[in-house]
Amino acid sequence: MSSENEFHEEKREEIAEQVSPWFKGGPIWKRPAFKVGIIWLLMTIVGVAIGLFVPDHILPRIMSPQGKDARDTIVFFTVLAAPVAALVCSVGAYSLLAWRKKANGDQPPVDGPPLRGNPLASSLWVGGSVVLVVILLIWGMGFLASETAPQSNLLQVNVTGQQWLWTFSYPGTGPGKGVESNKLILPEGRQVQFNITGLDVTHGFWPVEFGQQVDANPGFTTRFVVKTEKLGNFDVRCSQLCGLFHAYMYAHGKVVTTSDFTTWLQDNGATAAKATAYAASGN
Amino acid sequence: MSTALLEDTKLGPKAGGLYRHQNFGVALVVGIIGAFIGWIVSHALLQGSNWGTDMVVTVTLLSWAISFLIAMGAFNAPFRWMLGHDQDHEDELYAAGVGQGWKRYFKFCTDHKVVGTQYFVLVMILFFVGGTLAMMIRTQLLTPHSGFLSPQTYNAIVTVHGMVMIISTIVMVSGPFANFILPIMIGAKDMAFPRLNALSFWTLVAAVPPILSSFVLGGTDSGWTTYAPLSVQSPPAQDGFSITIVIFVISVTVAGINTITTTFTMRAQGMSMFRLPIFVWGAIISSAVGLYAMPAFLMAHTALITDRVVGTSFYVPQQGGAGWLYENIFWIMGHPEVYVILLPAVGAILEVTATFSRKPLFGYKIMIGGLVGVAVLSIMVWAHHMFTTGWAPSLADPFMLTTELISIPTGIIFLCMIGTLWRGSIWTRLPMYFVYLFLWNFIVGGVTGIYLSDVPADQYFHGNMFVTAHFHYTLLGGAMIAATGGVCYWFPKMTGRMLNERIGKTAFWLIAIGIQVTYYGQFLEGFQGMPRRVANYAPIFTFGNQSSTMGAYTLMLGWLILLAAIIHSWRKGEIAPANPWHAKSLEWQVPTPVPLENFLVDPIVTSDPYTYGEPDAPATQDAPARVHAGSTQEGGH
Repeated sequence: MSSENEFHEEKREEIAEQVSPWFKGGPIWKRPAFKVGIIWLLMTIVGVAIGLFVPDHILPRIMSPQGKDARDTIVFFTVLAAPVAALVCSVGAYSLLAWRKKANGDQPPVDGPPLRGNPLASSLWVGGSVVLVVILLIWGMGFLASETAPQSNLLQVNVTGQQWLWTFSYPGTGPGKGVESNKLILPEGRQVQFNITGLDVTHGFWPVEFGQQVDANPGFTTRFVVKTEKLGNFDVRCSQLCGLFHAYMYAHGKVVTTSDFTTWLQDNGATAAKATAYAASGN
Repeated sequence: MSTALLEDTKLGPKAGGLYRHQNFGVALVVGIIGAFIGWIVSHALLQGSNWGTDMVVTVTLLSWAISFLIAMGAFNAPFRWMLGHDQDHEDELYAAGVGQGWKRYFKFCTDHKVVGTQYFVLVMILFFVGGTLAMMIRTQLLTPHSGFLSPQTYNAIVTVHGMVMIISTIVMVSGPFANFILPIMIGAKDMAFPRLNALSFWTLVAAVPPILSSFVLGGTDSGWTTYAPLSVQSPPAQDGFSITIVIFVISVTVAGINTITTTFTMRAQGMSMFRLPIFVWGAIISSAVGLYAMPAFLMAHTALITDRVVGTSFYVPQQGGAGWLYENIFWIMGHPEVYVILLPAVGAILEVTATFSRKPLFGYKIMIGGLVGVAVLSIMVWAHHMFTTGWAPSLADPFMLTTELISIPTGIIFLCMIGTLWRGSIWTRLPMYFVYLFLWNFIVGGVTGIYLSDVPADQYFHGNMFVTAHFHYTLLGGAMIAATGGVCYWFPKMTGRMLNERIGKTAFWLIAIGIQVTYYGQFLEGFQGMPRRVANYAPIFTFGNQSSTMGAYTLMLGWLILLAAIIHSWRKGEIAPANPWHAKSLEWQVPTPVPLENFLVDPIVTSDPYTYGEPDAPATQDAPARVHAGSTQEGGH
C-alpha cells in the first residue's frame, strides 16, 4: 500500500507543477482571476444599485419609523448580499464563457486539474460569512432593542379579529369598550399601542404601511407600538389564513389631524371632554 | 461469467406463496372493500353522536390504508413467521421480482431498483397533481375578484397543493435515488432491509387517497400548515389530511432508518466514510434530520385528530389548549423538514457538478461539515416562523442568531460548487444545465431568506407573498431543480436509455424562465403588501399577479415537456451505455440494466469517486475490464 500512496503523491506533485500558476505570470488583464474580478465588480454594482433604488419604488408609502426600519433593513441586506451573490454568479458565468469545452456532446478531451480544495479560499469564504452574519445580527438586534424598549404614555387602541372582520375600539372614550369602529382612525404624530386579540381563530393584524404585524390569537392579547408619522390612508390586512373569507378580511385605516380625530370620536358617540383627553395621550 | 445471473433462475410454481396473488390491482379492490366495511361499522356504531362524521371518516380512511397494505403483501413475512414458517430462498427471489417482468413494478417487490423506479413514477404523478392544482391557483389569481374558483374550493386547493408538494419534494430524491442509486454507490447488493424498503413505498401509496379525499369531504381551509384552532373547526376533509400525514410519517421514518442502516453497515470493502460520494452523505444526513423532525409532525397531527374526533382540547384556547402549542410542534418539524428536502438534492447536484466539470469535488470534507452543520442548526431555528405570532418575544434574538448562523454552513454549498466549477473542463450536457440554474435560484432564495431571518423585515414580509416566493425559490428553484438535474444524470442508469437532450433543453429553458417570471411577480406582490393564500386581491397587485400567472403557465409547460421527454425516452430512447458520462462512482461501473444484487463480483474500493484528472492507482491498471478508477473488483461470487 505504501508504494501506492507514494505513487499517488508523486503524480499529484507532478500535476501541481504542470498546472500553470493562476495568479502569476503574463499581463494582469489576461489572467482569469482578473477577468472574474471584473465580472464580479459589474455584478456587484448592479446588485447594489438594485438594493438602493428598487425597494423604494415598490414598497407602499411608509407611514411609521417601524416601517422605515423594515425598509432600511431590506436595502442594507441587499447591498450586503450583492458582493456574495455576485461572486457566485461571476464564477459561474466565467466557467461557462471560458472553460466550456465544445466537444459536440462528447466527453471533454482532458479532465480539469485535480484541485481538491484550497485552505485559503475556504477559510476566506467561511470567515467572510461569519463576519457578514455578525453584521446582520448586530443590525437586527439593534432595531429589536429600539422596538421593544418600554414606553409610557401611549395611545391605546384595542384590536379584535374575528371571522372575517376587524373591530377597533378606543378605550376610555365611552361606556364599556369605548368608541367602536370597523375603520382604524388614528391621530397624527402619536405613539400608538395596539392590543390585539382574536375571537375565534388566529388572525394576523397587519397595518401594511406601518411595517409591523402580530397575530390576533384567541385567548391572548398581543401588543405592538407604532408611531403615526404621516397623514393619509392605509390598509389593514389579515396575514394569517383564517378560513373561508380570509381574502376579504381587511379594513380601511386613516391617519388624521388631532382636531379631526377628536371630531370623529365625538361623531361616534364620545363626549367632547373624553375625546379631547383621549386624543391627548401618546404624545 | 461462470455465475448465472440471478434473474435467469427458474423458480418453482409455488415460489412466493401468497405473493403470487398479490398486486396493486388486488390491493386497490381489497382496500376499497376494507374502507367500505370500516365505514359501515363505524357509521352504525356512531350514528347520532357528536363527533360522528369525523370519527367515521377517520375509521374509513385508516381501514383503507390497513387493508390495502395487507392485501399488497406488506405483512406476509411477519404473518408467516408468526405461524412458524420461514420464507425460503425461492420465496425471497420471487419477492425480489425474479421472472415477473414489468409486473414486478406493481407488486410488493424487495429489489431496491424496483422500489426506486416505483418512487420515481409516483413522485412524477404527485408532482403532476400538485402542479395542476398550482395552475388552478394561478388561474384564479389572473384577475382581481376572479370568479374562477369559490373561496372554499380555492382554500382547499391551496391546502392540498401545499401538502402534495411537500410530500413529493420530501421523497423526490430520497425515494428514487437513495433507493436505486445509493446501494450501488456504496457497493451494496441491496438495502439493509429490503422488505421495509417496499413497505415504505407502498405506505406512501396508501397515504395518497386520504389527502385527495379532502376535495369530496368539504375541503380543508387552513393551508398546509393547518394552524389550530382553525383546523380543529375545519370540515371532515381535515381528518383525511391528518391521516395522510400520519401514514406518510411512518413511510418516511421507515425509509430513513433503512437508508442510514444501509450506509453504515453495507458498504463495500475499502469504502470508508470519507470515500462515500457526497450524495450518500446528503441522503443519510437528510434521513437523520427526518428521524428527528417527522415524529413531531406525527404528534402534531395525532393530537389534531383527537381534538377533532374525540374532543380533546390540546389546541382549543377556549378549553384550556393553545394554538401556539400546535404552531411550535408543527415548526419543530417544519424547519428541519426543508433541509430534509434540500440536503439530498444538494448531494445529487454536487455529483453532477463534479462529473461535468471533470474535476474532483472541491472541499469534500468541508462540504460534509457544512451538511452536518446545517443538520444540527436546523433543529434550533423553528421559532423564526413565529416571530410575528406574539409567542415569546424574548426569544426573537436567539432565534435570529441561529437562523443567521445557518447561512454559514449553507453557504459552503456555494463554495463547493464554484470551487468545483473553477477551471473545470465544463461539459455542458443536460444535467449540467440544472447546475447553473440551481446556483442562480438558490442564491436568490438564500438572499431573500436573509430578509426573513431579520425580525424588523420579517414583521413586514411575514404572511405575505414575499414568503411564498422565497420558499418556492429555495424548494422549487433550489431543491427541485437539483433533483431534476439528478434525474437527467441518473436516467440512463435507471431506465437503460438516454434522455432526449433536444426536448430536454427546450423544457429546461421554459422552466428556467418560468421560475424567474413567476416568482419575481410574487416578490413584487410581497413588497407591495399582498397577503398569502388569498382568493382575491386589490387591483394594485394586478401586474405582479398577472406576470406570475404567465410565468407559471410557462413553467408548467416546461415541466410537461420534460415529462414528455422522460416518457418518450424511456420507451424509445437511444440505448444507454453503462457509463455515458464517464463518471467514476460505483453505480456507473455496473452494467445497465443493473443485474439483481448489482455486482457480479464484489467491488473493492481504493479511493473516493472524484479522481478526475488524477492518475489511476496502479492496482486498477491490472484489474478486469469492467473495473474503473475508484474501484477494483476481485475474487469470485
